[in-house]
Amino acid sequence: MSFSSHYSILLVAVPLAFAALCPIVGMWKRELCFPFSVAGAAAACFFIFSLWGKVISKGVVSYTPGGWKPPLGIQIRIDYVGLFMASIIGAVGLAVLVYSWRYVSRELDAEKIPYYYTLYMLLFASMLGFVVTGDIFNMFVFMEIFSISSYALVAITGQRRAVRAAFKYLLMGATSSVMVLLGIAFLYSTVGSLNMEDIAGRLAMGGYTSVASIALVLFLIGFAVKAALFPVHIWLPDAHSIAPSPISAVLSALVIKMGVLGILRIFFTVYTPGFAGIEGTWTALLQAIAWCAAISIVLASIMAIIQRDFKVMIAYSSIAHIGYILLGICMLTDKGLTGGLYNILAHALGKGCFFLVAGIIIYKHDLRRITSLRGLGRSMPVTAGAFAVASLSIVGLPPSAGFIAKWYILWGCLQKQHYVFMVMVLLGSLLSAIYCFRVVYYMFFVGSHSAEIDEGPATMIVPAASFAAATLFFGIFATLVLPSLSSAAQALLAG
Amino acid sequence: MNFSRIAHNLNYVFSVVLFLLGLYTIAVKPNLVKKIMGLNIMETSVFLFMVSIGMVGSGNAPVVTEGVKPATMVNPIPQALILTGIVVAVSTTAVALSLCIRIHEHYDSLNAFEILGRDELF
Repeated sequence: MSFSSHYSILLVAVPLAFAALCPIVGMWKRELCFPFSVAGAAAACFFIFSLWGKVISKGVVSYTPGGWKPPLGIQIRIDYVGLFMASIIGAVGLAVLVYSWRYVSRELDAEKIPYYYTLYMLLFASMLGFVVTGDIFNMFVFMEIFSISSYALVAITGQRRAVRAAFKYLLMGATSSVMVLLGIAFLYSTVGSLNMEDIAGRLAMGGYTSVASIALVLFLIGFAVKAALFPVHIWLPDAHSIAPSPISAVLSALVIKMGVLGILRIFFTVYTPGFAGIEGTWTALLQAIAWCAAISIVLASIMAIIQRDFKVMIAYSSIAHIGYILLGICMLTDKGLTGGLYNILAHALGKGCFFLVAGIIIYKHDLRRITSLRGLGRSMPVTAGAFAVASLSIVGLPPSAGFIAKWYILWGCLQKQHYVFMVMVLLGSLLSAIYCFRVVYYMFFVGSHSAEIDEGPATMIVPAASFAAATLFFGIFATLVLPSLSSAAQALLAG
Repeated sequence: MNFSRIAHNLNYVFSVVLFLLGLYTIAVKPNLVKKIMGLNIMETSVFLFMVSIGMVGSGNAPVVTEGVKPATMVNPIPQALILTGIVVAVSTTAVALSLCIRIHEHYDSLNAFEILGRDELF
């Protein structure tokens, strides 16, 4: 076996090892933590992007760590969706890591910096593990690792509001994890297997319908909390707005998407569409998610409009975008699924850029109120410009990635003739235009902060600006990603 | 109602009771430490449930020896899973308790309503 056949395990193992070694490096020389973790994240990115060729040619890359054969051993199973998510995690995670260097060295106490990088690498590695694993209990373990590290990262400043928000996040997150664990226990008690494909095969034999449907409900509740879907979203605005800005960016761009991926895996890989026995429950639950998602879109957009704090507004917008993603997925058509998946990319880039811009403004001027951002377009042209470009994507205007995503989601709704959902998506876009362009208006068209150009440091500007540029790039060259996404959607729908 | 069936599956009944008790404590009790206790009770109920799945009445350890049939062996996988689950639960509890200490330092209270009253929401 050549070295490259181990890439699929190395992309998790290498950042995990770097996370474990980071405190030791920090004890020796505190400044080395940053280059050390960048090296780990860059190595992971290399492994992820070199896997694309294999996945495109074969469809699925399977790896068995230690040579234990799949139904019993843990299987690493990388399909289109998994690798797509892993690529987003790799790219966004690496860029935000570079960004956090200057931010953290000023906002955090010096002795906390090694902990920050340790937790960050742990979060990064466990998210990668979550998306590539083919074993349902392994997925739970990785979910717990990224949850616990994100609770700690929200609270890392130790300020009163941060600690309170982290506790609220922890209570809801830990309860939802127990729900997922109970769901796994129910499934295991009926099928006696933990490998997702194997479970799907055994469930298809039938005979376990009532237990399987209860387990499905438990999984849905558990992952809906992680994804911050409408009735259980209340932890998100606090946690995402109070966390340090790079962490807000990662939480919003990546961590809540893990809940979406959990729902995808459970509903499409474990309980395949058209699975005999509990089709009724399956369809009813997807309908419920679709309605919750649609309500999320409208309600969270209205909540975003009435906020005065910049970061809280961005956090509410994340809830709305989780709504778009799940609504697209719940349409159960290839176009809708493609749109939902594309919005994962578009939102990760757009929202990542928003929080990074908010972080630069906090770093330079310590401003959080939206009305206090007036005139920043003149003194910080690149930062404000990045925000303006990213807001095109968040609103969903051409030629940005958000436009392509919403176009496909609407197409999916049209295929199923759900006109109410179409209206809600369009209404949500209209409302998001209000809250995004209000900020753009204050930045560019009101008053003057100071005429001289006073930008943030380059390591902070470059990630934010490159996210903004990437939203345009993936809007104009959408055909680079769309074919593989629609084959991913077809693979999911085929079960 | 078949009472003998319930009597034979008392561990499942208890795990349901513990689960609901834990969920109730998390949702209703205002004291943050009690909420953490509720979380632990809930986790324990799932552990009890999972270990019960693998139980075989008067079974053997899952080691291949002379005269021990596989059918009489206890299923070791749920126990291995629970071991991982306990580690996860312990680390969650550790993070939660350390957050509690910080909350008490900042607010001088562990009552959820008092803490909410202290900070107005933006």
